[in-house]
Amino acid sequence: MLNYALRRLLSFVPTVLLALTAIFFLTRMIPGSPIAALLGQSAGSEQLDVVGRDLGLEKPLLTRYAEWLPRVIRGDFGTSLFYSDPVIDVVADRFPVTLYLATLSLIVTILVGLPLGILAAVRRGTAVDYGTNVFSSLGMAMPSFWLGFLLVILFAVHLGWLPASGYRGPEFGIGEWLRRLALPVLAQSLAQIGLVIRMTRASMVEVLGQEYITMARLKGLPENRVVFRHALKNAMTQITTVIGLTFALGLGGSVIIENVFSLPGLGQLITVAAVRRDYPMLEAGVFYLTLVALVVNLAVDLSYAVFNPRVRYSR
Amino acid sequence: MTRDLHRPGGRLSGRLNGMLVAGGLILLPLAAVALFAPALPLDPLSIDATRQLFSPSWEHPFGTDQFGRDVLARSIHGARLSLALGLGAMVLTAVFGVVLGALSGWYRWADAIIGRVTDTLMVFPGFVLAILIMAAIGPSAVNVVLAVAVLYVPRVIRTVRASIVEFRDAEFVEAARTVGVGDFRLLFAHLLPKAVGPTLVQLSFGFAWAVLVEAGLSFLGLGTPPPAPSWGGMIAEAREFIRSAWWLITIPGLLITLAVLGLNLVGDGLRDLVDPRLRERSTV
Repeated sequence: MLNYALRRLLSFVPTVLLALTAIFFLTRMIPGSPIAALLGQSAGSEQLDVVGRDLGLEKPLLTRYAEWLPRVIRGDFGTSLFYSDPVIDVVADRFPVTLYLATLSLIVTILVGLPLGILAAVRRGTAVDYGTNVFSSLGMAMPSFWLGFLLVILFAVHLGWLPASGYRGPEFGIGEWLRRLALPVLAQSLAQIGLVIRMTRASMVEVLGQEYITMARLKGLPENRVVFRHALKNAMTQITTVIGLTFALGLGGSVIIENVFSLPGLGQLITVAAVRRDYPMLEAGVFYLTLVALVVNLAVDLSYAVFNPRVRYSR
Repeated sequence: MTRDLHRPGGRLSGRLNGMLVAGGLILLPLAAVALFAPALPLDPLSIDATRQLFSPSWEHPFGTDQFGRDVLARSIHGARLSLALGLGAMVLTAVFGVVLGALSGWYRWADAIIGRVTDTLMVFPGFVLAILIMAAIGPSAVNVVLAVAVLYVPRVIRTVRASIVEFRDAEFVEAARTVGVGDFRLLFAHLLPKAVGPTLVQLSFGFAWAVLVEAGLSFLGLGTPPPAPSWGGMIAEAREFIRSAWWLITIPGLLITLAVLGLNLVGDGLRDLVDPRLRERSTV
């Protein structure tokens, strides 16, 4: 167990370094574009050179990479081209909103998706199974931002129950905080529930078809016990993977949802930075979102050891 | 793995054909209007200040937008744009995915390099990486194709690689080698055909994903720039009129949903045809 955990933890470091490397080279695929974008089309080449020198753009790419990597590892992504604060402070400021959105959405998704997936597997081939299948297929096909607007039309414009946009932190009262996050969380959850239902159903169907389940039934165990104690426990490894994956996807999805509901999170920050080509900000935002996804992924891998003894005792 | 497998021709094989048929029925009309859009007497770009925000009527079945443009025309040309970009991205993905996947499955040295790169790309939440790439190369239709291909190619590489690895040491490969078949021919004539099915499945899901990503990027202003009739862009432009002109926001969203649903159904149906063991094991 310890061995497995240590190995998994050690592989985390190169993964993070590679992610940073990818971010560096992907944003610099086209040489010179940031300055040109910054100064606009009218800038002369002389002007471009001056700004370029200020940003260190005249050095070779690999030299810049060698300077950049140690700097960002220390958390210094540089200064935004638009904000006066260090990039890292702005990111830290926006982070909680995105984490709240992703976490609350994940909770709703699990609370609804897991039972529905189990139900669909147990009642395989019935109307319940068919209904959840339609629900999950539609959920996976609808763009989350569009779903967000539909919810706004229904709950904010017509019914007037919930605010259409805006955010207030939990420090100003949990009630108002939840009210403001209700629609974004609902939109985000509806977009990811389909996947969780499908994967839960698939792993449960697989496990329920195995011989030891038939055996358990033949022994006369009550069906509830067979489903929850025998089958679900074994399906949990796969289901945990899906939950981790959903969280990572949710972080990507939050980018769009934050824009629909004007939530001041990391996703909105990234979008604005991308549109303005504020590369230091964009790089930091993308990196920290990815880092969260990686940490969750790590946690999921470590949890395998809990659910699956084979992992625990492997070399 | 499941009981129904022992009943060939039973309920399930009926269902899998059903998925392909349903997907096809959804996609055919969309593909047809996309194909023949230029031949139709509909202009997605012509502005008419006297016809702003008309609600749906006989003359404009989908209404008009804030510039007096016909929403039906924009929707149809939007289908053309969306499907063309998705198709383009998948063709690109297929070419690079098959070549790199084959190399990766066959040569260990290639696997070491390609594997690392694909692993790295798959670390990112997909859509976030799409934003990063679009910011770097700039918003345009062609760049959306490139970004989607970069994001999706790792999955196809993995699929192709898995098929190659599965059969790399099989007896028929050994036999072919014994009679003097070279590496290149072994790979392309004997091993790659085994990867066609799984790759097609992967590509249909990729196509669906591409439609969603294009819509999302265009919604954020990072995809296909206006005034091109992108479904995602149409939703972005409609958000101001959410209270007054419902048709502006509902129609493009419905079309995206239909297209993605159809493509996913085709993917599901193909997967069941290709390998019943893979049934239910959905991919992202």
